[in-house]
Amino acid sequence: MDLPAYVSNQQNSEPESQISHLSLDIGGSLIKLVYFSRNDHSHRDDDEQRSQNESLCFSDNDTSQPVPEGRLHFTKFETSKINDCLEFIRSKKLRLGGFHDCTAPSSDKIFIKATGGGAYKFADLFKERLGISLDKEDEMDCLVTGANFLLKAVHQEAFTYLDGQKEFVQIDHNDLYPYLLVNIGSGVSMIKVDGDGKFERVSGTNLGGGTFWGLGRLLTKCKNFDELLELSHQGNNRVVDMLVGDIYGGTDYAKIGLSATTIASSFGKAISDNKELEDYRPEDFSRSLLRMISNNIGQISYLNALRFGLKRIFFAGFFIRGHAYTMDTISVAVHFWSKGEAKAMFLRHEGFLGALGAFKSYEKQSLMA
Amino acid sequence: MSSKLLSISISSLIKLVYFSRYNDSRRDDDEQRSQNESLDVSNSDTSQPVLDGRLHFAKFETSKRNDCLDFIRSKKLWLGGFHDCTAPSSDKIFIKVTGGGAYKFADLFKEKLGISLDKEDEMNCLVTGANFLLKAVHQEAFTYLDGQKEFVQIDHNDLYPYLLVNIGSGVSMIKVDGDGKFERVSGTNLGGGTFWGLGRLLTKCKNFDELLELSHQGNNRVVDMLVGDIYGADYAKIGLSATTIASSFGKAISDNKELEDFGPEDISRTLLRMIQIILVRSLT
Repeated sequence: MDLPAYVSNQQNSEPESQISHLSLDIGGSLIKLVYFSRNDHSHRDDDEQRSQNESLCFSDNDTSQPVPEGRLHFTKFETSKINDCLEFIRSKKLRLGGFHDCTAPSSDKIFIKATGGGAYKFADLFKERLGISLDKEDEMDCLVTGANFLLKAVHQEAFTYLDGQKEFVQIDHNDLYPYLLVNIGSGVSMIKVDGDGKFERVSGTNLGGGTFWGLGRLLTKCKNFDELLELSHQGNNRVVDMLVGDIYGGTDYAKIGLSATTIASSFGKAISDNKELEDYRPEDFSRSLLRMISNNIGQISYLNALRFGLKRIFFAGFFIRGHAYTMDTISVAVHFWSKGEAKAMFLRHEGFLGALGAFKSYEKQSLMA
Repeated sequence: MSSKLLSISISSLIKLVYFSRYNDSRRDDDEQRSQNESLDVSNSDTSQPVLDGRLHFAKFETSKRNDCLDFIRSKKLWLGGFHDCTAPSSDKIFIKVTGGGAYKFADLFKEKLGISLDKEDEMNCLVTGANFLLKAVHQEAFTYLDGQKEFVQIDHNDLYPYLLVNIGSGVSMIKVDGDGKFERVSGTNLGGGTFWGLGRLLTKCKNFDELLELSHQGNNRVVDMLVGDIYGADYAKIGLSATTIASSFGKAISDNKELEDFGPEDISRTLLRMIQIILVRSLT
């Protein structure tokens, strides 16, 4: 099996004991990892740069927990490239950070906290290849735990994004609940959060990151999600979408509050006999797809917030990737449908909620020494 | 020549309704070709004169509007417009029209047929049409579940309120509280135009019906990412079975397959399911 380049460049002097506690969120499209290193670990890590890690300095002020001081690291892999992920874990000897099950006869029995569907689907693979057992945590539970942790413990985590302006939101710990958490991964889950551990998945939608990536790949031949997203910057959706103005001859349908540029039917112009797939620019397809999905998520999120009287909606998941047009479209949709009543907010650690939640469950079981 | 009344609704499709009185009995081949339906009408509303005749229905794609203009001309439907008696010239003929094209194609109708379009509000017409059908037509509304079609008996005294969901190129959702009493409360941008547009791009189908026909043999599980694909099983804790669609077109992210490797029937089926599910979610 081929080893990814960064693994073969690994420095052998890296001390093993400094990296501890790994958790995984294995989703339909992406595997998210969170792992913790203690503060005496100070050398630069080239591997981390290449795998686009983020680090988060972590000092646990919760008086009921012992205080571990160190860094939280974040990284991700495509689920289709799970072998790369296994190699990464093996190369960093991160498996040593799992906890030992003292009740097991063999002292080699190592568990790693894992969530997402892949915690079930790939359990055997991890066992076989790394000798690791996956200690499965519920996905919804982890998403909520991760969200609550980020909102309470991390400074400047949540922000609004409207008209190109990013504004961090001050979270009042005593006024956090209830809120709607919308996690946009391959698919979308919408969770009503009422407190720590108190939540209900109230809805979801089938139009998510997987749809953008999948339809995008079929229409544009883009090789990956980021390439598709990048293309959308130069796109013009009005070439592909049927607008109210197209139906009404350039005017608004003012009587019901629809401006001429409102999209009446996504991809509605593509019914035209005159043009084939090849005659359209991939940028325009990408833009239309992004708009279609973002708009729809904004609308359905708002409808569910309305249903439960929720004014705050936090959007998470790797569909967003801090992308301006995506955040703007979602914000505008929420603003439009709620007539300004509801607020769309985004999270800096957007895609890592599940992995963080799984990570926190080590603490819950007092496994952080 | 018997008089006929014509009204038109225009967006992606041009829909015509015209009325002929019973003294006009010749067979009409054109009607067969344009797949007309006819509806016998007896207007029993005592505030209106009693009209006995047939309502005819026809449609054309907006891209083929010239065919529509020819149809109108050949059947001399334009003669049936009502005259504007206040106009100096007695040639000024109006036809009732709704939909966006009533604005967009006003000049075309004037130019080619000398007809002026008397524009009516689209939402108003949808509601008026719905109320008329539900009250005046026997066996108009029906349910469809598990392959079973069942006609619904409409109680005229218990008709309101109801939600009207009109699925054209786009979708409008209208709360109807009575005759002329309504509000467009919502809509969605994933409609018939999306199915047709994306379908055309991905399958090269020439028209909507062809695309729809294809979907019968399709299998969406080849293209969609299901809960079972992510979990290897049900996600029972939150009530999602393994066959629930988690992400439409989610399997198409795979490096191993290109567009040409997917069957057009599977793509069509997937598109249909995608739009159906979003429609239901939007009804929250």
